[in-house]
Amino acid sequence: MAKVFGLGSEPVVGSLTPSKKRDYRVTNRLQEGKRPLYAVVFNFIDSRYLSVFATVGGNRQITVYQCLEGGVIAVLQSYVDEDKDESFYTVSWASNVDGAPFLVAGGINGVIRVIDTGSERIYKSFVGHGDSINEIRTQALKSSLVISASKDESVRLWNVHTGICILIFAGAGGHRNEVLSVDFHPSDIYKIASCGMDNTVKIWSMKEFWSYVEKSFTWTDLPSKFPTKYVQFPIFNASVHSNYVDCNRWLGDFILSKSVDNEIVLWEPKVKEQTPGEGVVDILQKYPVPECDIWFIKFSCDFHYNQAAIGNREGKIFVWELQSSPPVLIARLVHPQSKSPIRQTAVSFDGSIILSCCEDGTIWRWDDVTNVPPA
Amino acid sequence: MASKSPPPPPPPLPPSFASSSRSELPVDLSGNKANEVSPTVRDVSMVIDSLKKQVAAERIVSVKKRMEENRHKLVGVTNNLGRLSMERMAGSETDAHRSLDLLTKRQKDATDMHNGIHASNDDGESNSYPEDSHGSTAVLLGSNVAVKNAVRPIKLPEIKRLPPYTTWIFLDRNQRMTEDQSVVGRRRIYYDQNGGEALICSDSEEEIIDDEEEKREFVESEDYILRMTVRELGLSDTVLDSLAQCFSRNTSEIKARYETLSKEDNAAEGSKNGDTKDISQSENSFLEKDLEAALDSFDNLFCRRCLVFDCRLHGCSQDLVFPAEKQPLWNAPDTENAPCGPNCFRSVLKSGRFSKATSSAQADVEEKCSGGSSSRKKSSAKRRTKCSQSESASSNAKNISESSDSENGPGKDAFSASQAAPPKTKPVGRGGVGKRNSKRVAERVLVCMQKRQKKTAVSDSDSIVEGDHSSNDMVTEPPVLSSEDNARKEEFVEENICKQESTDNKSWRALEKGLLEKGMEIFGRNSCLIARNLLNGLKTCWEVFQYINWDEGKMSGSAGDGANSLVEGYSKGNNEVRRRSRFLRRRGRVRRLKYTWKSAAYHSIRKRITERKDQPCRQYNPCGCQSACGKQCPCLQNGTCCEKYCGCPKSCKNRFRGCHCAKSQCRSRQCPCFAADRECDPDVCRNCWVSCGDGSLGIPSQRGDNYECRNMKLLLKQQQRVLLGRSDVSGWGAFLKNSVGKHEYLGEYTGELISHREADKRGKIYDRENSSFLFNLNDQFVLDAYRKGDKLKFANHAPDPNCYAKVIMVAGDHRVGIFAKERIMAGEELFYDYRYEPDRAPAWARKPEASGSKKEDGAPSSGRAKKLA
Repeated sequence: MAKVFGLGSEPVVGSLTPSKKRDYRVTNRLQEGKRPLYAVVFNFIDSRYLSVFATVGGNRQITVYQCLEGGVIAVLQSYVDEDKDESFYTVSWASNVDGAPFLVAGGINGVIRVIDTGSERIYKSFVGHGDSINEIRTQALKSSLVISASKDESVRLWNVHTGICILIFAGAGGHRNEVLSVDFHPSDIYKIASCGMDNTVKIWSMKEFWSYVEKSFTWTDLPSKFPTKYVQFPIFNASVHSNYVDCNRWLGDFILSKSVDNEIVLWEPKVKEQTPGEGVVDILQKYPVPECDIWFIKFSCDFHYNQAAIGNREGKIFVWELQSSPPVLIARLVHPQSKSPIRQTAVSFDGSIILSCCEDGTIWRWDDVTNVPPA
Repeated sequence: MASKSPPPPPPPLPPSFASSSRSELPVDLSGNKANEVSPTVRDVSMVIDSLKKQVAAERIVSVKKRMEENRHKLVGVTNNLGRLSMERMAGSETDAHRSLDLLTKRQKDATDMHNGIHASNDDGESNSYPEDSHGSTAVLLGSNVAVKNAVRPIKLPEIKRLPPYTTWIFLDRNQRMTEDQSVVGRRRIYYDQNGGEALICSDSEEEIIDDEEEKREFVESEDYILRMTVRELGLSDTVLDSLAQCFSRNTSEIKARYETLSKEDNAAEGSKNGDTKDISQSENSFLEKDLEAALDSFDNLFCRRCLVFDCRLHGCSQDLVFPAEKQPLWNAPDTENAPCGPNCFRSVLKSGRFSKATSSAQADVEEKCSGGSSSRKKSSAKRRTKCSQSESASSNAKNISESSDSENGPGKDAFSASQAAPPKTKPVGRGGVGKRNSKRVAERVLVCMQKRQKKTAVSDSDSIVEGDHSSNDMVTEPPVLSSEDNARKEEFVEENICKQESTDNKSWRALEKGLLEKGMEIFGRNSCLIARNLLNGLKTCWEVFQYINWDEGKMSGSAGDGANSLVEGYSKGNNEVRRRSRFLRRRGRVRRLKYTWKSAAYHSIRKRITERKDQPCRQYNPCGCQSACGKQCPCLQNGTCCEKYCGCPKSCKNRFRGCHCAKSQCRSRQCPCFAADRECDPDVCRNCWVSCGDGSLGIPSQRGDNYECRNMKLLLKQQQRVLLGRSDVSGWGAFLKNSVGKHEYLGEYTGELISHREADKRGKIYDRENSSFLFNLNDQFVLDAYRKGDKLKFANHAPDPNCYAKVIMVAGDHRVGIFAKERIMAGEELFYDYRYEPDRAPAWARKPEASGSKKEDGAPSSGRAKKLA
């Protein structure tokens, strides 16, 4: 369904001609297993570990790696779920209140696994979601808060430190199908955006419930006794796409989201304060991504949101300069052997390394070689 | 557009073009230019094209600007996040306890190894696996090394997953689906869970409502182009046509829009001069409306069946049903004759009367009363006892008529007096007078009583309150004060009565008049209750009293002697009303005595019970018939009984008249309510009633005869505690906390009320997931507990269950109750027979062989599976 844009509200569409602003070369390729890998993520939470990344996938494994000089990747840790049916879909770095580096992963079982990578032990497991977990994200401002998006149509806010489910975003105004993606606003600590198979993107506010978030840090009783609250109505409900929305990220106050329409869309939610739930979407820019028409393909950004990398169905990666107008395609990463769908990418802190994890269980490392003379 | 190309130059007009061009816009549609030469199509399209380009260029610039702004903001944000990230590092480094951070250790090992990789290449094996308690350390990987073999993974102990469920919201009563929840007409995309990627669109493409046809709002840029084109070329058909083409809209739409725009421009100019006006006006807008308008939102939002606002079950904007029979007037039993407050008509009337009767003695009294509060209390106490006797002895009606007699004379004076003298305008002798007044009034009462030996009832009760209040504090003093002032002022104002009456009448706003009318419907001519309950803060009791009687007087035409007609009207009105209500009561009783179980009204119900047991129940909607329901009655046509929410009178033949069981406790089919699958209703049934509280409120908590109705459990929410747990059979299950006996009510199956059409659509979705929470309720609605419901939605199906479900009519609504089919022990899982329609039952619910397994296994059925009661 083509969307009709009124005059004067057309989005600025980026050109697919690579600008060659940066040049990336494959420096490593790992085969983690035969099963698909669904997520790869760098640790931006703790600057000690900026070169450390984690992957999860259908092999029910959580693996921690480190990027070293010269394209070398070192395996640091590996965890495997004893439940043979588990298949992890998502992983996120977090930290305990005392700064211990945590990994939070979830998947088909709906159990959230919190691993203390500092002691290489499972720290807690959160049971509560009624179905698979499609995405977990960490609040960068308070890195022991994580949020999870689930097939059970809910988004839940957890405190990994105390193991409390603080809020459940679901109900009368909630998603009507699986929630596929969720993201914390980078500066407004109360706001999150979620999207899913009901084709909508919803913005939620936890401002009224913030006292519960604070309470969760000092809770000493059993986590199950915590008065978990339902947030039933979002403050904004956007129909930007006409199909599954499988990834959304905040870009400042704007939102990047993608469906299965071969493009990432950047839009501004204009929330009307007096009428919650309603609002206007102003689509600002579009970042075309050819052959990206299957769902569960997620994009990622570097720490400063300068660029986003996204893989496609054919194993190619498109690196977009996010904040220029019109958008600039920084690079198109193609390798003859990379043919399997890329489920997720990870861009390092400064954008110099791009990782991709694929359906065939491989991890690819691409390094920025713009200023490096060819060996 | 090319990525590197410089942005187009900014358009000649700044973004604030709308305001700058506004004043120059030709407001007159037949502007000069338009009349001179009609522009050619080419001209028009050139102008439009250039404007379009300009708008597009502006858009690009504006997007760029916003991106830039956002970027600036984001730099600060990410820097802050970066700082946090650094702090986390710093925080942990200073912490000495973090020495055992294995991630850091592994990281360091890896780096070291990488740096010395060539040196340790050969004996790397021994180096990289130090036998510490923490298992493997880092392994370096070049290309094409299988990770699996590289490190020994740490095992995460298995955690038992929950049975799948969709997040649901607890409902303690059914809710009607809101429009935005409908799946009808919406495209639904499925994916094949096993097949992975394939997206399967719903099979209902033909039902898609074309959203494209929705009326698009004119966006700012379109307005701009419209304005500018007309400004440039004038308004002509050519222009309109070209614009229409450009915006892909109708010509008429364009024209209409232009007209609104010109109007807006005019308005905008106008408001420049006087934009402060609006604010002050909106202040009292509520009071300016008439009652109907003021009640508009009330009528729309208040549910008269559930007595709540924003009822989720019956919805907003229900059809208003006004009962044909009015309720008997409401009377406050105890305060019958006590003044309701400082401005009660009783006080005013009385003081007016007294002022005349004792005017000669006035001066003396004033002198004497310096501080006799104790004596006053005594006397009032005495009177109270006396009065209570007399009050109980005399009937209400008698009281009133007596009072009217006695008030005949002074009424007029008091009437005029209070008009002229609102308490605040009288600064004369304020300080001391108040206290003295009350004393004086009390004495006057005494005097008065002596005078009128027999007519005690009214004045007695008056004086009670007088005494009561004055012994309390100052509250009652203002009226007395005013009455005294009134008495003094009397002469001056007498001639002005008529004038004031009319102005006074005018000062009643439409809203207040409306409220008064409603008040008279509810309370009769009881100005105390009307003033207190409906006109609180707007009008005093006395003003209400005056208005009622003035109105009456006007109607009767004999307004000459205002006072007489006033009081007469008062008494007459009250008596009349009273008589009527008594009459009604008697009539009602007679009919109840005649009542039999075989009376005509039951015929249809009986028929339904016997013949149509398997038919779905019919949804009840109250009819608004104003007389006994005939063939036109929607209830009758629909085949439902009339209920207490119908407009029709109680004598309606179609009414369900409840039961008059006593000893049977309505627990068997002997009880007509029970037999008709209805709960008893204390409003309707004769002996079924609800007592509340523990008796501390003066109501007996139990009648002690053990006859209380046992057929009101849903209404009273007398349910058992149900627990949610892992089913012994499959998925989730509902369990009972305490043991119950046979036929005990366990709880209600609540959910969203959806239409059958909606249920068919949803059913298809649910069947794909092979888990349905649909429950057929009646001919109009299906209950869906998928996203909203209660724990009983998890009770599983069994062919040989221990519970049964039953659709019961409770106060006009169908509800599903779950009952014990047999004695159930504490902690047992609850099952009931879903009673799927035979051809639609999922495999696991098919008889005869009870596989025992539910939901997950079994192929999806072709139709939709809905539970039946």
